Amino acid sequence: MNRCGKGTNAGLFALIVVGLAIAAGVVAVVRFDVRGEKGSGLSRDYVYDTAELGKFDPKLILYDESIRPIATNFSKSRGIAVGLRGDIFVAGDRAVRVFGEGGVLKRDVDLDGQPVCVCAGDDGTVYIGMRDHVEVYDSGFNRLGSWEGLGEKAVLTSIAVSKEDVFVADAGNRVVLRYDRSGKLVKRIGEKDAERNIPGFVIPSAYFDVAMAADGLLRVTDPGRHRIEAYTVDGDLEFWWGKFSMDVDGFCGCCNPVNFAILPDGSFVTSEKGLMRVKIYDPQGEFVGVVAGPEQLVETGTARIGVTPSEDTARGFDVAVDGRGRVLVLDTIKNTVRIFTRRQGADAQGSE
Amino acid sequence: MIRKSLILSILLLAVPYAAAFGAERFPPPEFESGYELPSPTTPSPRVDVFEYIDAVVLFAALSVGTYLVLKKRSRRWIFALMVFSLVYFGFYRKGCVCPIGAIQNAAMTVFDKSYAMPVVVLAFLILPFVFTLFFGRVFCAAVCPLGAIQDLFVLKPIAIPRWLDSSLRLFAYLYLGLGILFAATGSAFVICRYDPFVGFFRVTGSFNMIVAGICLLVIGIFIGRPYCRFLCPYSVILRQFSRISRWRVTITPDDCIQCRLCEDACPFGAIRSPAAKWRGEDYSVGKKRLALLLVLLGVLVVFGGWVASRASGWMARVDWRVRLADRVYLEETGKVSDTTDASAAFRATGEEIKELYAEASDIEAKMATGSWILGGFMGLVAGLKLVGHSVRRTRTDYEADRASCFACGRCFTYCPREHARLDKLKNKEEGK
Amino acid sequence: MPQEDKSIDRRQFLKSGIRGAAVVGIVGAAGLGVSKTRKSDTVWQIDPNICVSCGNCAKYCVLEVSAVKCVHAFAICGYCDLCSGYLNPKPRELDSGAENELCPTGAVKRKFVEDPYYEYTIDEELCIGCGKCVKGCNAFGNGSLHLQVRHDRCLNCNECSIAAACPSGAFKRVPADSPYMIKTKVSHG
Repeated sequence: MNRCGKGTNAGLFALIVVGLAIAAGVVAVVRFDVRGEKGSGLSRDYVYDTAELGKFDPKLILYDESIRPIATNFSKSRGIAVGLRGDIFVAGDRAVRVFGEGGVLKRDVDLDGQPVCVCAGDDGTVYIGMRDHVEVYDSGFNRLGSWEGLGEKAVLTSIAVSKEDVFVADAGNRVVLRYDRSGKLVKRIGEKDAERNIPGFVIPSAYFDVAMAADGLLRVTDPGRHRIEAYTVDGDLEFWWGKFSMDVDGFCGCCNPVNFAILPDGSFVTSEKGLMRVKIYDPQGEFVGVVAGPEQLVETGTARIGVTPSEDTARGFDVAVDGRGRVLVLDTIKNTVRIFTRRQGADAQGSE
Repeated sequence: MIRKSLILSILLLAVPYAAAFGAERFPPPEFESGYELPSPTTPSPRVDVFEYIDAVVLFAALSVGTYLVLKKRSRRWIFALMVFSLVYFGFYRKGCVCPIGAIQNAAMTVFDKSYAMPVVVLAFLILPFVFTLFFGRVFCAAVCPLGAIQDLFVLKPIAIPRWLDSSLRLFAYLYLGLGILFAATGSAFVICRYDPFVGFFRVTGSFNMIVAGICLLVIGIFIGRPYCRFLCPYSVILRQFSRISRWRVTITPDDCIQCRLCEDACPFGAIRSPAAKWRGEDYSVGKKRLALLLVLLGVLVVFGGWVASRASGWMARVDWRVRLADRVYLEETGKVSDTTDASAAFRATGEEIKELYAEASDIEAKMATGSWILGGFMGLVAGLKLVGHSVRRTRTDYEADRASCFACGRCFTYCPREHARLDKLKNKEEGK
Repeated sequence: MPQEDKSIDRRQFLKSGIRGAAVVGIVGAAGLGVSKTRKSDTVWQIDPNICVSCGNCAKYCVLEVSAVKCVHAFAICGYCDLCSGYLNPKPRELDSGAENELCPTGAVKRKFVEDPYYEYTIDEELCIGCGKCVKGCNAFGNGSLHLQVRHDRCLNCNECSIAAACPSGAFKRVPADSPYMIKTKVSHG
């Protein structure tokens, strides 16, 4: 062992080296980022910027949310529909709740299972879609019975009612079922059929919506093809509209729209997941304008779109329309019904 | 039982997912072409058996090391075993799990009901303890890969004064205290986080920690094994066990002949020279000083606790939940308008903010208590060091300090008696 | 000097006493420890239902190329043509040309199954675990792409560096005999 005094120069050298090494080591340890605070440091190529995608010209917004949302008080809200006299039906958890036009809770109907969707006919009959079967109630919510189960794969997502028929969208089996009002299956609509030129629905997830339009044709979403298709009640595919685009005039992502409703004038209100957008299309399917975009729908001030898992699971907002043309959006994140009314003097922007 | 309840809790966790993920229940497309859904591959982790082999190797290395240090007395063989350990536990096993880090697993096992350390980790922690209790720090000499890599760099050792050596060792006590505290609160395994050499073993790692490792090795050229002596939390424990070990490293194989040749043999400053008994007047002065120091000890403990408690808020922020609670609080009170990945992720889980606050307060409270204990402990250590320096031991021979000796065996060949022994052995063999 | 011998004896006796106590203590503590230990080791895994695919996995792993890779849970995939985990959100052309690929390293592979379905797989050699596709898939699709620690690569550090840098707390110690948290199809009901 060399004593320090062996050579002053050698000792000094060692001291300097040790000093420098200590300094460098301390700096390195202090700069060491264990907490991930400096972020991933990945270049822009590695970043998926949904906020940027969600941007559009705010002048396209035709609606305002001026009324306080109605709290559904569900922990999971599933479907919304408007019944007679403007009553708002909301399915969620293990119940269906009926709210008056003003948002007052009028009824709270407990169910045996988890409802997915709800619809009311002109005569007040209420059809509630459970996962694999339909339950029927009268206007006073007396249970009239339940229709036969549709099997293991069935995932009912929407119900539409016409004068004679009830149409049930089964996303799991990729088919719309036409029943008569007594619950007898009349027709299977939209299954792949090369002879009738029906391509079959592309439904990647449990979003599949059906509605009856005033023209007597059934409108069905085909989310995997980014379009809304028109079928006769006998199952002929008449026409369709809609295109893929991340831009505001198209349907974004892999499978949209997820829900839609038809306004009294025959226009469509569509709802998209991914980029949360509720938009208006005219009866021919031309883009008209926006009810609310991601910034309005998801979080005030920020457009946080599908970044976090639980929002991802609750991101397909159901929409409904009431007799006054108000757009009702079922916010499945906050579990509220949000009410949008048309701005005074708002022009159709997209129809030029 | 524990395993069962763990699996159960995982199942329980899985249930809400099933409910939450509507998409998961959704049937995939019906393929007409006969396409079958593949399953994602799930390559298995290293089989447990190998971990048990590691424990066996550890036991074997400790046994062989003991033989080499106490019986064979061969630096060359100790060096060979050290290189083996460096290759096996270091480069082959990538330096993980190691007994040093296992302290934290033990602390977490004690304080966190939901955590239990694997048996092998426990074995890694305990085996060197037991060996040290009986044979001294054989583990440090020839088994620990962190010690080994530093030992290779002991090239131009210079002596540092004993008071400095002793004072710098306070860092190791502090590191041990922090390591246990943060593991006990479940905040972090800091000893693993700031392992300076593991990056070499893996031949990859964070740039900063590799730089720190290089710096330590450079320091180690002049000041032998700086990590072992001034930082290693495990060495702090082994020191205490080594003090009372049944057998110990002796410089001479039999009798010290007071030749003083070994005086400079140790690059780690562990050789103590003979000391005479105190003279009477020194004795009375020493007695007074000791009394004073014992009073001071109490003061130091309280003062240390107080100082550390001042830092408890900062220490609590090592825990990400506390930082998250801070952030969420800022957002809730409108002091910031945006969200971070962390706060967004927290909100997405749908957990109650109140519960997060409660959890964070709980950690802060634990940290407040813990910091008092840590500070008191540091005060106690500092005080006992002072006491130790004023208590005089008589020594007639040159001896390796029980606590500080790494049992590296460098001093053996400095002793003429050792040469005599070796010659005898040689003659014996030749005589056969 | 018989007196000194005596004092040494006393010290020796004290020492062996303490040593004995220490051994008993250690063994006792070890026994208590064993009663609480698990035989099986634990490994690190990402809970995909908490993960926000921030990208830290790609950087903070001690390995040069992260042990975290994207894993595809085929059972919940929609097999979409316009896969948001595969294609750029604003593809220049509506086809699967390389210029439209989302993955910066080209690790997501696409294979035609039947009209209109496509299978997507991950080339783990190319995947760096950045989670860009996971974000795309989560944002628009079913979330079938998700990040997992691959145990053929993971060193199973005592404290995972990515776990320390994970903003969401998604990293967990899981039993080594069920080392993955693959998103799976859950049976009805």
